[in-house]
Amino acid sequence: MATLNINKKNYNIDADPDTPLLWVLRDIIGLVGTKYGCGVAQCGACVVHLNGEAVRSCVTKLSRAEGKKVVTIEGLSETNSHPLQKAWLELDVSQCGYCQAGQIMSAAVLLKENKNPTNEDIDDAMAGNICRCGTYLRIREAIQLAAKDQKK
Amino acid sequence: MEKTNNSRRTFLKSSALLGGGLMIHFTGLANFDISERTGTLGTPAELIELNGYVKIMPDNTIKIICPNPEFGQNVMTSLPMIVAEELDVEWQKVLVEMGPHDSVKLGSQFTGGSNSVRMYWRILREAGATARYMLVQAAAQTWGVPAEEITTKAGMLYHEKTGKKGKYGDFATKAAGVTVAKGVVKPKDIKNFNIVRTSKKNVEGTKIISGKPLFGLDYKYDGMLIAMIEHPPGFGMTVDSFDATAALKMPGVKEVFRQKIYEDGFEQGGFDVRTFNEVVVVVGKTTWEVMNARKKLIVKWKPAGDTKDTMGGRGGAREVVVPGELESSDAQYQKMQDFASKPAQLLRKDGDPETAFKNAAQVIERTFTAPFLAHNCMEPINFFAHVTADKALLVGPLQAPGWTEPTLSKILKLPADKIEIQMTRMGGGFGRRAYGHYLVEAALISKKVNAPVKLIYSKEDDMTYGIYRPMYTATYRAALDADKKLIAFHVKGGGIPEHPIHANRFPAGAVDNYLAEGWQIPSNITVGAFRAPRSNFNAAAEQSFLDEVAEAMGKDPIEFRLELLKRAKENPVGKNNEYDAARYAGVLELVRDKSGWKNSGTEKYSRGVAAYFCHSSYAAHVVDMVIRDGEPYVKQVFSAIDCGIVVNPDAASNMVQGAVVDGIGNALYGGLTHKNGVSEQRNFHNYRIIRMREAPKKVEVFFVKNDIDPTGLGEPPFPPVFGAVANALYKASGQRFYKQPYSLKPTDKPIV
Amino acid sequence: MKQHLKSNKLFSNKARTVTVLTILFSFIILMGFSFENHSLVTVAKTEKAVIDSVTSVKAFQQVYRVLMSPRCMNCHPAGDVPLQGDDSHLHAMLPKRGLDGKGLNAMKCNSCHQPTNTPGLNTPPGDPNWHLPPANMKMVFQGKTPSQLAKQLVNPKTNGNKNMKQLIAHADDGLVLAGWNPGEGRTLPPLSHAEFKKAWIEWIKTGAVAPKDK
Repeated sequence: MATLNINKKNYNIDADPDTPLLWVLRDIIGLVGTKYGCGVAQCGACVVHLNGEAVRSCVTKLSRAEGKKVVTIEGLSETNSHPLQKAWLELDVSQCGYCQAGQIMSAAVLLKENKNPTNEDIDDAMAGNICRCGTYLRIREAIQLAAKDQKK
Repeated sequence: MEKTNNSRRTFLKSSALLGGGLMIHFTGLANFDISERTGTLGTPAELIELNGYVKIMPDNTIKIICPNPEFGQNVMTSLPMIVAEELDVEWQKVLVEMGPHDSVKLGSQFTGGSNSVRMYWRILREAGATARYMLVQAAAQTWGVPAEEITTKAGMLYHEKTGKKGKYGDFATKAAGVTVAKGVVKPKDIKNFNIVRTSKKNVEGTKIISGKPLFGLDYKYDGMLIAMIEHPPGFGMTVDSFDATAALKMPGVKEVFRQKIYEDGFEQGGFDVRTFNEVVVVVGKTTWEVMNARKKLIVKWKPAGDTKDTMGGRGGAREVVVPGELESSDAQYQKMQDFASKPAQLLRKDGDPETAFKNAAQVIERTFTAPFLAHNCMEPINFFAHVTADKALLVGPLQAPGWTEPTLSKILKLPADKIEIQMTRMGGGFGRRAYGHYLVEAALISKKVNAPVKLIYSKEDDMTYGIYRPMYTATYRAALDADKKLIAFHVKGGGIPEHPIHANRFPAGAVDNYLAEGWQIPSNITVGAFRAPRSNFNAAAEQSFLDEVAEAMGKDPIEFRLELLKRAKENPVGKNNEYDAARYAGVLELVRDKSGWKNSGTEKYSRGVAAYFCHSSYAAHVVDMVIRDGEPYVKQVFSAIDCGIVVNPDAASNMVQGAVVDGIGNALYGGLTHKNGVSEQRNFHNYRIIRMREAPKKVEVFFVKNDIDPTGLGEPPFPPVFGAVANALYKASGQRFYKQPYSLKPTDKPIV
Repeated sequence: MKQHLKSNKLFSNKARTVTVLTILFSFIILMGFSFENHSLVTVAKTEKAVIDSVTSVKAFQQVYRVLMSPRCMNCHPAGDVPLQGDDSHLHAMLPKRGLDGKGLNAMKCNSCHQPTNTPGLNTPPGDPNWHLPPANMKMVFQGKTPSQLAKQLVNPKTNGNKNMKQLIAHADDGLVLAGWNPGEGRTLPPLSHAEFKKAWIEWIKTGAVAPKDK
């Protein structure tokens, strides 16, 4: 039995400690905002925060998350008020939308560590997140917009 | 522990309260509505249905049903916008719900072929206008005034003379009983549009950015099991035997069995493509447990040999032999080369091309090839099925419910009205989800284990399954006379397993002597529609060939195309030319002007241009490329599109930008190769997908303004990106590129 | 490699004054600590035997094969992007080194590289301390000749501030050992870890002689 703190709530999880956090979130807890894309840490659809760091939950074992603070897209803000969420809506970034939770979770770590990201910083930080619809231009723009908003 | 509010039970309960006679929606993923208003429908209210697309509540909440499944083309916003426009309601107060499969009420419901807006444009305008008409009639009856004196605005009815006014909701019940004679309803004058042609945000935007359950993989159902399929590792292979002893000992595993998909002689329709007819199924409790159990499964595979498929069709059933060869890419290219020199099927002929080529002063001949492409939707293939003795419920990501339902009906031996299909939001589609084999698989598995089941493909299962963009080649020839005038044009195209040629498209109609031919090589590698099928190859090959011909003629590539289009417009050659030469020229002129084609300051870029016509729309791009760290980088793009009326301009721009990015990615990196039948690319580690760094810094999109009924948009901007990239690469490197992907690195050894 | 991250400032200041001679001298002395059976005196006595350029160069040839194998070289790239795969191509998605060698923002090494190998083909190999050398001490292997690499390895200014004792100990560093547990589908270095360690120590013990480039 492992205790996980997810989005400020504690959950007792009865699962193999090797179970990827992704499947703990999706299949056991029922938080499905974190997506399964590739399963091998290539696409970034499953990015969550572990003690504030972006990790790919498809390869992060339950045992690694134990005792740490997990934040998923559902817990990024209570009222969709994170500057990135607002910017995503403002610029209507999404197409199919499947990758966007992972994109936002990656971008949130970037913005926390770099208040004034250049386009190159964004490209570097977001290199691990694939969007098959090709919304990259708007993602870049939304991160810039959120960075401005964050400074207010 | 929190519980998502999407269990089947919840829906049945709330639906049952809706009352008889009304359409019942089992929208498995909770209400698909505008986020700001999420929850307002939490208490079941009386919905009055005016037609399949319009429902009104007494409190004046307007619910509009979206008929077509959403895969990122934004139809859940744009289609309801059309209804709302004619209904004359306030967009902000509209709730949108994805409709279930119901061809009687909601039409063909086919997402694909850039079809949604163009197919539904008239239907939805009529639906909205008719509902408005019914409300007006109801108010006229109630108020005892002539209907023509009643006006509407933003969900309200007014009678100026008497000062009477009322909400749509007040009259909805009465309106539902109004009969509408044919021809009495007139849609709005498009000059008066105030919703269509204005930018509206994605109605599911908030749900997307907050991680709400929307997609097939997110769907849950009480007692749902998870199933995965072990399909043969390569094309041309099948199950020999399997040993499930170890797999069955794994935690959570329920059953392991062999499953046949189609019975012998099953008559397949066009969207019934399935690659593997026998698979091994693992069913268990959770996804991870099933994934782990699969690792313990021992399956012996064997070559399938030549097999037979029975294809249905208007002319009756016919048998098709599927060759058993375990194919390899080198051999495929060789075979295409061999076939290219054999006689082919004549597709179109104008004038006397043979003589013209014989008498030509110069003949330019170039051969282009392109590999198989996998759709690689972000959300792997999946579908939920619950099949019982007398009915079936299927929920998940699907582009073409209307094609899949008859197949399910035959296979499950259930009448169509006992099969309920709900379409979730799709994590990408690109054509892949028009092929419903995975619903059939899910349904058969559910039937076999007698439980609700969700079938999930891993990314590897998905990428190696097939239903790819075919492998293509085409040889283009242009004959120039002594004055360097283009006197003849010849294209001979082929592919595995089908050819790419659109014989009646540009430059057909613009050249006196024209010949188009096609040939194809049968294969066991299955193919399907991939964002602008055939066009996505032609626009690469033809548009880079035209670039080369223009250069040989000493002409500017845009001017050269415009001259040909002028000819096609003023004095077209032949019949059945599919395109409108003036609109085609229009996008070229627009992109020329907007990009400042020859302006100073643009020399720092390697510029490439291309244009193409497909899905009744016209697209042209100018791409500006630089070489960065030794790799080509498209830094900025100018796009001109003519798709008639643009329903939702900002969303339309988004889609064009996405198509440009997708096009650059596939042109430079896309490709799937085979060795002894096995796909060498299995996941994103060795199937390169364009990433943020490679996306342009700017894609400026310009739409031609006209009042033509909307035509396609999801696909048309995609094909010409390939040609523009190839032409820019030539400028950047001095070298012409004939083989896609233009920078494919050798993939003969696995990347680990 | 754990040591070079906790780079000791005092030591590195000192290291700047170190000459090749003192390196040789100090490692001979340190060897006295390393190998319990040898006293300082015996080391001093055997000093002549220690510097054996033929044996040393021969040992380094073995060491070089290992260090230039993908399992070692992939994290000692010439640029700021790690390498990947048996063909040492640039790491897909181009993660960057960052100042501390642990990546940048949402693209840190341990976003994907777990404390242990992730099961399955084409999944990230793991180690609790997965990283590249830091930006101020890149310790590049890629593209280095045997001579260049050997010189780089013995020089504290270019080897992560390691003295000879630390250099010897580095053979058993967790991340070095991870090279021999590379995860499914990856080839092992050309020598076993024991063979490598033997050659490594022998190279150092016999004078850490840099071979001459042909």
